[in-house]
Amino acid sequence: MSIQASGITKTFGKYTALANVDFTAPSGKLVALLGPSGSGKTTLLRILAGLEFADPGSGRVQFDNEDVTSVPAGKRGVGFVFQHYALFRHMTVFENIAFGLRVRGRSTRPTEDKIHERVRELLHLVQLDGLEKRFPTQLSGGQRQRVALARALAVQPKVLLLDEPFGALDAKVRKELRRWLRRFHDEIHITTVFVTHDQEEALEIADEVVIMNQAKVEQVGSPQEVYDRPATPFVHRFLGNVNILRDATSWGRTGPIHDNGRLASDGLVYVRPHDIEVHPHGADTSGIPAVLRYIHTAGPQAQLTFEVVATGEQVEADITRSGLAELNLKPNDLALLKLRPTHTFQDYAI
Amino acid sequence: MASAVAASLSARREQAPGHAAPRATQDPVWVKWLLVGCALTFLAFFLVLPLVAVFAEAFSKGMEVYFAAFRDSDALAAIKLTLITAAIAVPANLVFGVAASWAIAKFNFRGKSLLITLIDLPFAVSPVISGLIYVLVFGAQGWYGQYLEAENPAWPWLHAWLIEQDFKIIFAVPGIVLATIFVTFPFVARELIPLMQSQGTDEEMAAITLGASGWQTFWRVTLPNIKWGLFYGVILCNARAMGEFGAVSVVSGHIRGETNTMPLHVEILYNEYNFVAAFAVASLLALLALVTLVLKSIVEWSHARSLRTETIDR
Repeated sequence: MSIQASGITKTFGKYTALANVDFTAPSGKLVALLGPSGSGKTTLLRILAGLEFADPGSGRVQFDNEDVTSVPAGKRGVGFVFQHYALFRHMTVFENIAFGLRVRGRSTRPTEDKIHERVRELLHLVQLDGLEKRFPTQLSGGQRQRVALARALAVQPKVLLLDEPFGALDAKVRKELRRWLRRFHDEIHITTVFVTHDQEEALEIADEVVIMNQAKVEQVGSPQEVYDRPATPFVHRFLGNVNILRDATSWGRTGPIHDNGRLASDGLVYVRPHDIEVHPHGADTSGIPAVLRYIHTAGPQAQLTFEVVATGEQVEADITRSGLAELNLKPNDLALLKLRPTHTFQDYAI
Repeated sequence: MASAVAASLSARREQAPGHAAPRATQDPVWVKWLLVGCALTFLAFFLVLPLVAVFAEAFSKGMEVYFAAFRDSDALAAIKLTLITAAIAVPANLVFGVAASWAIAKFNFRGKSLLITLIDLPFAVSPVISGLIYVLVFGAQGWYGQYLEAENPAWPWLHAWLIEQDFKIIFAVPGIVLATIFVTFPFVARELIPLMQSQGTDEEMAAITLGASGWQTFWRVTLPNIKWGLFYGVILCNARAMGEFGAVSVVSGHIRGETNTMPLHVEILYNEYNFVAAFAVASLLALLALVTLVLKSIVEWSHARSLRTETIDR
């Protein structure tokens, strides 16, 4: 089941949460809605779920070509997992998961045996066998998250929507659970949209990333595409560290800036630290001369901070530790900086 | 600097076991007992003594006379009327209270803060004024009285029916019930609003995305989450409904055997120097207060226990 939303505008009083936003989630894909807080990503997710409605007359939401713009949440067939899980605190894990089946009308409600069977199946799917008698407060954060997921899946939703699914977990559990979610999605293949403000999370597990900022969509693409070819200055800055270089002409002589999105619409050159090459001073003179100021070697790579001689601007470069040993650079040494030639990513074509 | 302070602190702590040095958070023993003594004396004089006095006075002429007070038909009528009033006012306020707090806690709408203020109005207004309002609206000189005496009334069928039934509001049971409902309105709502606000709307949203209807969401998700707070509010509401004097006194007219509730009956007996009977009926009200306190403690205790069992063996 694919999701299309087009021309969505949502205002809360004078505040515009979404301004004419288009969104597509292809059938069976895992799509990340990525953006800083206040970018409108959660509002968009809630509109897809039917928990909020777009401003009257401002666009529509379709599930596979079926218009669901004015269909309420309960009838859309969506599974929604809330940021803080919203488990029913007075019910056991079993009753939480069974809830969606028990509230069905008499004619469509499964028998008690069927409900038991289905709940056990789901508990097994989310790897929580044997915990059906616990109450939500007796579970860890990661377990609650998976109960919420099982509860959403119990009603066999057509699409799964997750609001900051790992937001309330600590760093380690977060990492485990997001890999688990990726594998889980590969098993069940249900169209899934999740909201996150963590770019690492989005780039790691999503098939497609939708980057939002200030009520608008900035870029849509695969993680590889958005990381390597950011479409706007915002995306450059938002996805990882980036050097912002003012002197486009000089840098342009050291490497390509035009065909790979480095030269952004604001006339500045955006280059990631690992795309800066460091050459010894004097070997050839085509680079930009810069003085090495700091070296951080705690980590897999050496992080070097340079000060460009001509302009005084700071440039960060990440090189391998063996590369640094070869260069034999020490603080206050001169070096030449160049832009790394771009790769072509035919291997990654999806 | 900080390390010096820490060192001197730890040095003092090492000295402490030898001679019990006074700690900043601990007062000398005599201060402690003086404060406790003051509090206990105060409680004894203002709370325990009156309670004991009620029962002592009620039983002063023996059991026979005590129980005789309840065989009086006027006393029985007063008890019956009090029970009827509470039986109408408490369920009514249960429904109103839940509806109002549901609306206030779970939805945003224009005039919400006005509604919250209105709910508090009965607490802010003197009960006598509350009674007087009903006399002004429904009394013989009020709008209702004018309607009954009008030549060409609106809704003639209602007018005819009211005349035929000789339906009175003031100096009759409907007025007493109305005044009681007004005075006890805030108890349930005040108890529930903060509770429901702290619980938020996420669980209801979750229920709705799972396909539950509004009623199902209310019965299966909202109500179980507020049941202890609701029970607590109902107990307090009931205690006040049975004990209300001021507002009821204004609208009742003190007709013996007809419009006297227990508190009014106590006053009448007392004014007639019938002390034993007055205190006998009063002892029933006192007993109600004690039962309320016990119930309230049980509710608080079982609520705390239900929270505890939920968090056990995490």
